[in-house]
Amino acid sequence: MSAADLATKLSNLVGSDVVRSDAVSLQAYSRDATPMFEGLPEVIVAPRNTAEVSKIVKFAHDTNTPIIARGAGSNLCAATVPLNGGIVMSMTKMNQVLEVSKSEMIAVVQPGVTNIDLDELVAKEGLRFIPDPGSRNVSTIGGNVATSAGGLRGLKYGTTRNYILGLEAVLGNGEIIRTGGRLVKDVAGYDVTRLLVGSEGTLAIFTEITVALAPRPEASKYGVAYFDDLASAAGAVEKIISSGILPATLEFLDNTCVVAVEDFAHLGLDTNAGALLLFGDDGDAVSIEQSVNKMAEIAKLASGARGVTLAADIAAADALLYARRCSLPALARLSSMSILEDIAVPRKAMAEVVNRIQDIGKKYGLRIGTFGHAGDGNLHPTIVLDKDNKDEVRAAEAALAEIFALPREFGGSITGEHGVGSAKLPYLEDLIGSTNMQLQRSIKKVFDPAGILNPGRIGS
Amino acid sequence: MREKFSQDKLDRCISCGYCLPACPTYKLTGNEESSPRGRITLMRAVQNEKLPAIDLLQESSFCLGCRACEPVCPAGVEYGVLLEEMREITWQGKNRPIIVRALFLIVDSKIGIWALGLFSPIAKRRKAQDDLHLMYGCFERRLFPAVSRAVAKIAPEVSCSSDQGCCGALHAHNGELEKGKVMARALGEKLPGTILTTAGGCAAHLSSELGPERVQEFSQWWVKRELTLQPIIESGRKIRVGLQDSCHLRNGMGVFAEPRQILKELGEYVEVPGSADCCGAAGTYALLQKKNSRKVVSQKILDIKELNLDYIVSVNPGCTRQLASELKRARVKTRVIHLAQLVAMSQQTTK
Repeated sequence: MSAADLATKLSNLVGSDVVRSDAVSLQAYSRDATPMFEGLPEVIVAPRNTAEVSKIVKFAHDTNTPIIARGAGSNLCAATVPLNGGIVMSMTKMNQVLEVSKSEMIAVVQPGVTNIDLDELVAKEGLRFIPDPGSRNVSTIGGNVATSAGGLRGLKYGTTRNYILGLEAVLGNGEIIRTGGRLVKDVAGYDVTRLLVGSEGTLAIFTEITVALAPRPEASKYGVAYFDDLASAAGAVEKIISSGILPATLEFLDNTCVVAVEDFAHLGLDTNAGALLLFGDDGDAVSIEQSVNKMAEIAKLASGARGVTLAADIAAADALLYARRCSLPALARLSSMSILEDIAVPRKAMAEVVNRIQDIGKKYGLRIGTFGHAGDGNLHPTIVLDKDNKDEVRAAEAALAEIFALPREFGGSITGEHGVGSAKLPYLEDLIGSTNMQLQRSIKKVFDPAGILNPGRIGS
Repeated sequence: MREKFSQDKLDRCISCGYCLPACPTYKLTGNEESSPRGRITLMRAVQNEKLPAIDLLQESSFCLGCRACEPVCPAGVEYGVLLEEMREITWQGKNRPIIVRALFLIVDSKIGIWALGLFSPIAKRRKAQDDLHLMYGCFERRLFPAVSRAVAKIAPEVSCSSDQGCCGALHAHNGELEKGKVMARALGEKLPGTILTTAGGCAAHLSSELGPERVQEFSQWWVKRELTLQPIIESGRKIRVGLQDSCHLRNGMGVFAEPRQILKELGEYVEVPGSADCCGAAGTYALLQKKNSRKVVSQKILDIKELNLDYIVSVNPGCTRQLASELKRARVKTRVIHLAQLVAMSQQTTK
């Protein structure tokens, strides 16, 4: 079907006010936050309710048109770039929090609500939405669920997948299903809810999400420890957790990242240190006082330690956390292009892996800034390079291939929290094996027989 | 005539989208193309010849140019400059709005500037310190002459010279970037030493061209004078007062604490929700995009009404005009006043 026909038919279906197909709009939706991936959609549609989503998907099914659901387009794995044309369905108009139940500690939301809007709303009830990806100011709950977004609290609290109780979603033929519900305990049937979390829009499109909330902690406390190098910081992390503490936050940044972040946030960070470890905990005031002081003690005595400072107050702690969230974009200041990786490795291998990453950087003469969630072994090595320097681009590709081999060597994963998208799909089968990959393809066919939902991604 | 964007400025953006929640036009529409990130994607498409430049016209006009996206951008994208380039590329020939052409015509000539001041009782010409000059501003001298009079009254050391043209902010923001820069430098030569300005928009433009050491916006300058202000009492109580930030002053120059500091001395200061968000005046925007401009300001008017303020203080003439006309339309009693005028209403003593 021609692009013009598509737009006309969709307009007839859901109204021309939510359908756009002019060259400018299409161009704007040609990419997400992933560098080097681009593709023009044929039409943009922004449904207002579940019924419209269902109609649109049914139409896509009947006309065999690719359809990609998109929240804020802040993902980092090219999961929402329309490489096959078709329909981009923007979920931003479905941005209502339908219910917050304090007694059940849940919220029911539409997919277009942003992570921070939900958290700020439930804060009024003394509650908290746990998943806090770096992009929380902009990313939507729908997008968080589609990629099972992680964040800075993964070690103690888990990620998005641990907080989704129920879903309303539209299958590849336009039918609406409800999975799970409002309960913590519910084992009736296969856990389709969990299957849909992290499915990157390939199995169904979420129209309503029931999330579990947690009490807002009474207090939190954060500190910063400096080290000679990242491996020393990783060693300290290993010691902290072996000592029996399970803190909310253990984040580290190497010198390149510290310098870039300081340049943006002006927090007075020690830019001479080889690495920074941001540690912290939340909970009741007494126990976090203990755990944070103990972490500070361990960090002080760890090998390669250069000093520890505790954040004076909440504002200082928030500034530190915000600065940490901004690591990636701050790194981008350094050159015309930055390529971000998202590998996860077992914690005990982390010190060795970060050293290996540095060696790879040296070998190819590349600047690699590494930051990450040290507590859960999730590393974000980021290559900053001049995009017009062909030699450097080639070197970066070779270096990435080597970095990519590390998770397999150490029993890790090629993506900890960003997702597979188009960026990682070529490597997925290698990691999970052909039998599992075949199973994923079969699952895809059950949910989306026509293969229209985000085609070319997981299970294709 | 510019055809290309500065590539290094485009390269800065990594499309992370952190700017989206800060953008008033994205808030209005939820459309990617009406966000800073989306517009940069469009600029890149033009740069790489995937889109004709003319396709940028609508978005370059819809953008307020408030630069709220800049302070929240960790990658340090200079969106304000990119927008100026976008308008320089698209607002050419017949695509330049007729109102902008008319305004250029006025401020480009000595006679035009003179005419703006005609029958407008601005601060009288006087020679005081050689290295501190009050800038009248083109439209402030026409619309709000009391502002320069207030400054002259409270600051006898300030020189007021009648020989001063437009600073070129109008040009820079409306498709004549290079000319805007030339005009800023020319004004810098006419007014030696520190230029004191009561317009946030002019301050940011002048400062970017002449350097921040040469330019002082009124609140920045006042807080350094170390004078204690007495609270203003009306109807037997301290006045209730709120502030509307000037976008370019706040987002371009990082000046927002200073006016608040002053207002806390002058009365009961109330932080208006969204005081940092654009009021929709946005230079010529209120004239060119009337409907959208009113959509942007509508919530703000309700908030001001709700707070029952005596005064809402502005630090930029465009904002004064916008708030005054919208408050009047909504029949809200709150008066709009420039910070300098409110300072002039107070007794001052040495600290």
